[in-house]
Amino acid sequence: MTIDALPRVMSGASGRPLTLREHEVTFGTSTVGGALAGELEASGLMGRGGAGFATSKKVELLRHQRGHHKVVVVNAMEGEPVGHKDRSLLSSNPHLVLDGAQNVANLIGARRVAVCVSRKDSAIVNHVQRALHERERRGTGPEFILHTPPWRYVAGEESALVHWLNDNETMPQYRPQRPNVLHVGRAPALVVNAETCAHVGLINRFGALWFRELGTPASPGSTLVSVSGAVHRPTVLEVALGTPLRSILRAAGADPDPLALLTGGYGGAWISGEHLDVAYCNEDLRSLGATVGAGILVVIPRGACGLAETHRVVKWMANESSRQCGPCAFGLPALAEDLRTLLHDARDPHGVLVRLKERCEVIQGRGACRHPDGVVRLVDSALRVFHGHIDEHANGLPCPALTMARRWVAVPALEHESDLVWE
Amino acid sequence: MIALTSPYLWYTTRATGLVALILFTVVVALGAFVANRVGGTSVGRFELNELHRTVSMAAVAFLVLHILTTILDSYVPTGWFSAVIPMTSSYKRLDVAIGTVAFDLILAVWASSLMKARIANGSWRFIHWFGWLAVVAAIVHGFLIGTDARSGIGLAVVISCSVVVVATALWRYLWRPTRSLGRTALSPLARHQPREAPRRAPRDSNRVPR
Amino acid sequence: MSRKADHFVLRVDPILCDGFGHCHELAPELVQVDEWGYPIIHEDPTPTSDVSLLKSARLAVRGCPRQALRIERTNGPA
Repeated sequence: MTIDALPRVMSGASGRPLTLREHEVTFGTSTVGGALAGELEASGLMGRGGAGFATSKKVELLRHQRGHHKVVVVNAMEGEPVGHKDRSLLSSNPHLVLDGAQNVANLIGARRVAVCVSRKDSAIVNHVQRALHERERRGTGPEFILHTPPWRYVAGEESALVHWLNDNETMPQYRPQRPNVLHVGRAPALVVNAETCAHVGLINRFGALWFRELGTPASPGSTLVSVSGAVHRPTVLEVALGTPLRSILRAAGADPDPLALLTGGYGGAWISGEHLDVAYCNEDLRSLGATVGAGILVVIPRGACGLAETHRVVKWMANESSRQCGPCAFGLPALAEDLRTLLHDARDPHGVLVRLKERCEVIQGRGACRHPDGVVRLVDSALRVFHGHIDEHANGLPCPALTMARRWVAVPALEHESDLVWE
Repeated sequence: MIALTSPYLWYTTRATGLVALILFTVVVALGAFVANRVGGTSVGRFELNELHRTVSMAAVAFLVLHILTTILDSYVPTGWFSAVIPMTSSYKRLDVAIGTVAFDLILAVWASSLMKARIANGSWRFIHWFGWLAVVAAIVHGFLIGTDARSGIGLAVVISCSVVVVATALWRYLWRPTRSLGRTALSPLARHQPREAPRRAPRDSNRVPR
Repeated sequence: MSRKADHFVLRVDPILCDGFGHCHELAPELVQVDEWGYPIIHEDPTPTSDVSLLKSARLAVRGCPRQALRIERTNGPA
């Protein structure tokens, strides 16, 4: 059974999720069987959750752990508010994700799979429940359990998710030793993104060579991208890695001449709208200081104020800190405050800029997780990309975008405004 | 059991008891200073911490003497196990029992602190909170049991210790650092004005965060 | 050529750390403090032959009210 080059994981997507039978008709049931470990390594699949580690390496690490009660945790939390890919995937074909999870479980010898979908996505929870029910009737394979943690930005971070499974608190853990194996209870756990599972499910059917037909040698395969901002409507596309950004924007119906793009997520980086011919893959984006991250692109048009957009994101991210570590709990609100001062109240703008840069350096790398690092990366990239516009703010020139009602990066409303005692 | 009694044994019991009470009150106050981040300018915070540990050693030493002299003195029939098991003394059962409870709690705090590097910090902190209970029990024990605690020096000590403990508790609670604003004056980066950290937004998980 | 672990570096658990600042007082050469009172630890390994620094580091580990510090043996700078 062959399928066209694209779409791959989104094949057969329609208004409702595929049933188990439709899924098997679309993708077939032949597998590479016992050769999956080798195929996975040859495929070079990188995790699609944001960190981008080679999936086969994570699997190898867990294979060598002792313990009969290993567990695979499928991370469909989608912590990024502007990301929709995992939810779209589960809405169109949950069975592909569950297939992949089962394959990973077999590879590491796990007998349980914990599927984690955020509590607020009740539709997705229903889709997954129905899919699990269909599979239950088949009766084979590892035990699948659906969990619904409460949604927070850090709830998608793998150590926070495991902490929730253990102790009902979505708080990231300190992991000084890398690589470090997380545990759910006493069981070694492998946390894998939902989209990554879907790709594993396809590699299990069609093999590594097929997987590598798309993409680049260093970033093989296809990936899901959530495009939002200056588009007709927010959309999820499946693209081959290495596609030029321009093509992705065209396919999404986005503004073809944007001011800038936010790549990776709220903890990602801005890139200037001049770089649309850069290929959408880590090795090329890295030269611009960006990564594919969680497959997110937010387009902001000319006439928008990058500083204002950044400020809104940083303010929200500061509120989403789990407040376990001082540099994050104090530093992120301080960054937000500095950005606000630059926007609205700059009496000493150059001093504020210096302070902002110093604070970024001080905060970097001193939290237990990468949350503050992501915000620092975002702010650094904003200072680079919106350099000229920030100078205008600093010199007191009026910013036309500030009077605009429309904001381009969708930021959720702050839940508890009263907690913002620093405002 | 050695039938040993002497007024000097009795004086020593009462004296070491009062001194131990004073020292434990000082320990609690110092502990509150450490927790509320006192110091950093003219006195080092680590110095207050060290003082807290040293004075607690002295306090425990006086407490042990107090208990030993009580047990050895056969004028008041208290056995060895009354030192750790409450309500087993035939002399002033309740009053001694309160002292026993204080000693048990102090033993737990002391033992956990000796092993502080080897146990989880959360467990150590949980046991350490019982220090407050211990000093309150010690004050109550001192007030109830001393024949001279209703007048003169005894009463003065008990009252001043009570006042200090209550005042310390109030200060400790009212001036507690919320998510720590722990600047020491030695910080060269202390020129930016930090403010109180924002309170953690309430989570919608079942468990109340620390 | 084999490398011995003849250097050390202080490591802080940022979750346990509560910004008391005792480490900065006890080992100022190894630990600076940011504007919020949290430690900025020098990442460059110090040779263990530097006895006074090692002693300061040990005092800092012992003195931390949250037991957030550890001394990690490591090789010299690469």
